[in-house]
Amino acid sequence: MSAPTGGTHPEAKGLYPWLDRRYGITPLIEFLKHKEVPIGSHSMIWYYLGGITLFFFTIQLVSGVLLLAYYQAGESTSYESIRFITTKVPFGWLVRSMHCWSAHLMILSLVTHMLSTMVLKAYRPPRELTWITGFLLFAFALGFGFSGYLLPWNELAFFATAVGTDSMKAVPGIGEWLLQVMRGGTDVSINTLYRFFALHVVVLPLLTVGIVAFHLIFIQRQGMAAPMAHDKPGRGMKFFPDFALRDLLLWLVCLIALASLAVFLPYGPGIPGMEWELGKKANPLAPAYPGIKPEWYFLWVYQLLKEFPAHLFGMEGSQAAIALVSVLFAVWALVPWLDRDARSNRASPAFTDLAMAALVFLAYLTLKAWDIGGGEGPLPDVRAVARACAYWGLVVAAATVVFRFAMGSARFFDFTAAAALQIVLHGFLGVSYLAAGAIAVLLLAVSLGVRMLRSRNAARATVGGAPR
Amino acid sequence: MIALCAVLLLAAPADESKYPAPLKEFLAAKNKDGSPVLGDADRKALAALPDHTRDLLGAAAESVILGSAAHLKILLSLDLPPAALELVAQDNCILCHSDPGNQKGKTLFATDPPARKSNPLLNLKEFVSDVHFRRGLSCSGCHGGKPSDEMMTKDVYARWPKEDVRHSDRSWIPGFCANCHADSNFMRGFNPTLPTDQLAKYQTSQHGILLLQEKDSRAAQCVSCHGVHGIRNSRSRLSSVHVQRIPDTCGACHSDAKRMEGFRLADGTPLPTNQVAQYKESVHGKALLVKGDLGAPTCTGCHRSHAAMPPDCHSQYAKDNQQCAATAVSFRNALDTLVAGRAEITAPLERLAERGLDVEPLSRTASDLDEALVQTRSKVHTFDLSSFQAAAQPGNDAIAKGRELIAEERREARFRTRGLLAAIGFMSLIAAGIALKLREIGKRRIT
Repeated sequence: MSAPTGGTHPEAKGLYPWLDRRYGITPLIEFLKHKEVPIGSHSMIWYYLGGITLFFFTIQLVSGVLLLAYYQAGESTSYESIRFITTKVPFGWLVRSMHCWSAHLMILSLVTHMLSTMVLKAYRPPRELTWITGFLLFAFALGFGFSGYLLPWNELAFFATAVGTDSMKAVPGIGEWLLQVMRGGTDVSINTLYRFFALHVVVLPLLTVGIVAFHLIFIQRQGMAAPMAHDKPGRGMKFFPDFALRDLLLWLVCLIALASLAVFLPYGPGIPGMEWELGKKANPLAPAYPGIKPEWYFLWVYQLLKEFPAHLFGMEGSQAAIALVSVLFAVWALVPWLDRDARSNRASPAFTDLAMAALVFLAYLTLKAWDIGGGEGPLPDVRAVARACAYWGLVVAAATVVFRFAMGSARFFDFTAAAALQIVLHGFLGVSYLAAGAIAVLLLAVSLGVRMLRSRNAARATVGGAPR
Repeated sequence: MIALCAVLLLAAPADESKYPAPLKEFLAAKNKDGSPVLGDADRKALAALPDHTRDLLGAAAESVILGSAAHLKILLSLDLPPAALELVAQDNCILCHSDPGNQKGKTLFATDPPARKSNPLLNLKEFVSDVHFRRGLSCSGCHGGKPSDEMMTKDVYARWPKEDVRHSDRSWIPGFCANCHADSNFMRGFNPTLPTDQLAKYQTSQHGILLLQEKDSRAAQCVSCHGVHGIRNSRSRLSSVHVQRIPDTCGACHSDAKRMEGFRLADGTPLPTNQVAQYKESVHGKALLVKGDLGAPTCTGCHRSHAAMPPDCHSQYAKDNQQCAATAVSFRNALDTLVAGRAEITAPLERLAERGLDVEPLSRTASDLDEALVQTRSKVHTFDLSSFQAAAQPGNDAIAKGRELIAEERREARFRTRGLLAAIGFMSLIAAGIALKLREIGKRRIT
């Protein structure tokens, strides 16, 4: 038997010494007592976003288990059991509403957490794997959203899943096979629901809990990322109880907000892609539900697919769109290795700008998918939508610039300028979305090239002029 | 002596040798089996005509508009008085379009359209009975052109919307008829007693609002009730708007469930389609249709004709009979109660649904009430108070149940709000405790 690992006396009595002797709790408590959260010149609020995401994930697990007590997957039971939960089960309506609201809020806080990590460069060595696990958790969260959407087996869910899974066909080579694997056949059927159910309540939770564990272990082992070297150094804050109590306080605020939303807006805010009223039961033989739109966090992909022509460079338009999305995700995942300045603990405003540009890019596509400014008719005026969304897109771009000035990191705007240029060309001048994007990317490449040449020349001049 | 001479003169057979030459040729025309085309009856009818009428027929045959013996046989079979036949003989439109050797089914006026497989609206017998034709208004009066035209000209149809439009959008018809019928000076020349305010009334009617304002061409307009080429005086028993034919004329649309699909009453309930069936069984229907009492109320008695609307107040029509008035008031009050009850229980539905409350039982109750309303309304035309009240009872029950359900859902909504407030209060207390603890820790660190 291995030696006791605790710090208490071998003869001490009571539960704590008993546990400590066996599991070495004292070093853990000592670790927590001395653990500190580094404080920089930036706001502390960014440090709480991970905790808020974890809180919403916990709500998801708890409410999910409660729903599972009554939910019955099946063609004649899925819809009926959800209706039973919301109408007959005591507080069932509250549990479902909180489950749906916290799903959306979790993704919102997760995305904000990711962006803040990007802006604060918290991914720099040695925390690359923390970023990667976070990226995986983001992907799993999207998977949760997609798989959970079908479970009520209502009209909207059925047709939205049909449209969503259909995009799998665009994957080169294995698209058709992938589609069949996802759907459990050629069409969306009850087999699809069984698969999605298994994915939603078994596969994804296991994977997510595992990756969350790794994510948290990495953070505990390495501590929270210290401010960049150029940042004004500040004193640390004790993790326990100072930071932990603040975390708890914020969780309570989140719980109050969540409960209020669940009671007063039990079916969501009524925005397309953010509503979960049960409606009618799915009928595979019925004509497609009009105005189907995916959840708000998939809207940008949905809109990007619409912006691509039927064929592009010898590929199917949807294949090209999926390829672009894959490249963007890959770039995002590899940021800790691509950001060489941050790796050397130097300021890297370019990647802060990249994060802001990504935000502008996503916001514009999402607004377009909502047909903002398209009028009341069944077929919105595409030009009017592009123009109205361009105004709002530029407002978002301006807001990111103001934010960066406030953060004191406003030195690089090439990416944001390229995103704004694409919006202006497309929204105001009527250039097609892809052509506008190509022009913006070309000018961005020129700008980045010029910057690179200048920095090389400056480096040479420094080396050449340096005293021997 | 003079009278005897006149009788002998009239009784004397006409001398066929004096007929216009083309008519003589028609008389000599033979069928394939060798029998004459114009039989004895036709020859007799031709002989009975005045010389002037025969001359006009001869002139028409001379110009080939009256194309054959068979064509002449058709005209003679109409058994028209000489004056009417003279109108036909001088109207190239009707001559040309009644010649089976010249026209196809779509444009042929036949004496028996089903046998000819021609357009049922182009019935020659109906056309020559039309009140307009009898008063001298023939084809060109509506279609344009002139009776003397030998060919179709651009003037024909020029006053109508284009063919593809005029069939899908019927809103041009009331105004077109009103070109003459709203012109009192013009109409005075034909029938000084005929009113000229039909269009004005129609515009205010439910049909007129549907057709003219909402452009719903399913709505009845002039030709829906009066017909097209066989319009008769409403006093004629053959007229589609004769008082005894009005129930069937209205029922042609209002009893057709498919046609009435989608039409709703002001309170949103579907328009019933069994009114005519019930009317025929009612005391009013039997009085009119069985006993032949032309003074008995029919559809237009309550709903009016050109200004057709739902009846405003039964008592207005039944004020001279206390029993009728009392029944009418009972009908009205019971219906008003159901309609008001429906509004009461459906008004909070949307709001309660938005709050996530279970509104399905309430929706079902509202549907039950809708059904009761339809049933109750349909009993109006039975004019039987007891069956009416029996039909209304489920509606009253549904209203009471609906009220209970609304009260229950409102209690649930209050419970949810209070529960949330209690939870927020509890959580706020914990939050305040944490905030105080943090403050204390901060102070302790400073000291």
